[in-house]
Amino acid sequence: MLHSQLPWWIGGPALGLCVIAMRWLMNLRLGVMGAWSDVVTTIGARRLSFGPFGWMLFGLIAGAAAFALIAGGPDFHGYGWLTDTFTGTGGTVLIVAILFACGVLIGLGTKIAGGCTSGNGLSGNAMLSPASLVATMTFFATGIVVSVITEALIS
Amino acid sequence: MSTRIAAAIIGVVFGVVLSWSGMTSPDIIREGLLFKSPYLFEFFAAAMFTAVAGLAILRKRAPKALLTGERVQWETIKPERRHVVGSLLFGVGWGISGACPGPIATQLGQGIVWGVPTTVGLILGVILFGRMQARAAQGAASGTSSSAATVIPSPVAADATA
Repeated sequence: MLHSQLPWWIGGPALGLCVIAMRWLMNLRLGVMGAWSDVVTTIGARRLSFGPFGWMLFGLIAGAAAFALIAGGPDFHGYGWLTDTFTGTGGTVLIVAILFACGVLIGLGTKIAGGCTSGNGLSGNAMLSPASLVATMTFFATGIVVSVITEALIS
Repeated sequence: MSTRIAAAIIGVVFGVVLSWSGMTSPDIIREGLLFKSPYLFEFFAAAMFTAVAGLAILRKRAPKALLTGERVQWETIKPERRHVVGSLLFGVGWGISGACPGPIATQLGQGIVWGVPTTVGLILGVILFGRMQARAAQGAASGTSSSAATVIPSPVAADATA
């Protein structure tokens, strides 16, 4: 059962309910980047007193680990178009460098924009915040353009 | 129940859903962004409309938060340059890696080693932002404005949860 993709009309609303729960229980805006940020800045200050966001990140990681354990492994192998395109030892080194650079862009970009796919895309839009709508349209458009360009380059 | 335990439980649900829906996989994200599969957009729209409906009810009723007792309410934010600039950078990283902060966490949880370099980069990005913010605050205090000041929110103005 875990090997078949959850229908979008179950998975989507389940994430939406997480956003509602975070707001109704503790008046917080659910955002995974905010969760990463809490963990990084708390550890950076040499403390271990994580707030709700930090604990949400630990839950997220634990939930994924539980899924992999029950499903008998991760739900995909290789790493998409990157491992299909770049092979061998040189390819692996290149992919690690690419993913590292992407990580920096994702971390820095979402911090500057005040949210990621969940913080701006789900929660911010649900809060009817105009800034989140602008951010969401920007990252979706950019993601689409970048995917189309990279797809054209490798084919 | 403490807010930390509640947030951890919400995180577990979020992590299972991101894993079970395949959102952890860069292939699923890419198929969506290339319009080869409608799943990403259907999933995102279903999540958003559920949240829109739920938050609309919460906003209208403005109940006390169940765990903290404070009034459930929020401010909306006007679009600024930083929302575009930041999301452009994020979009490039998302389009190439097929990962965003949630799926990066679930990749780690599932034991997918490719998630490690992305995580290291993400952490560095957060640290870099903190430095830029400190510098922008310093510049503002000494009266010298820099171009960075227009996209780096000051610690006070930054969205509290991002």
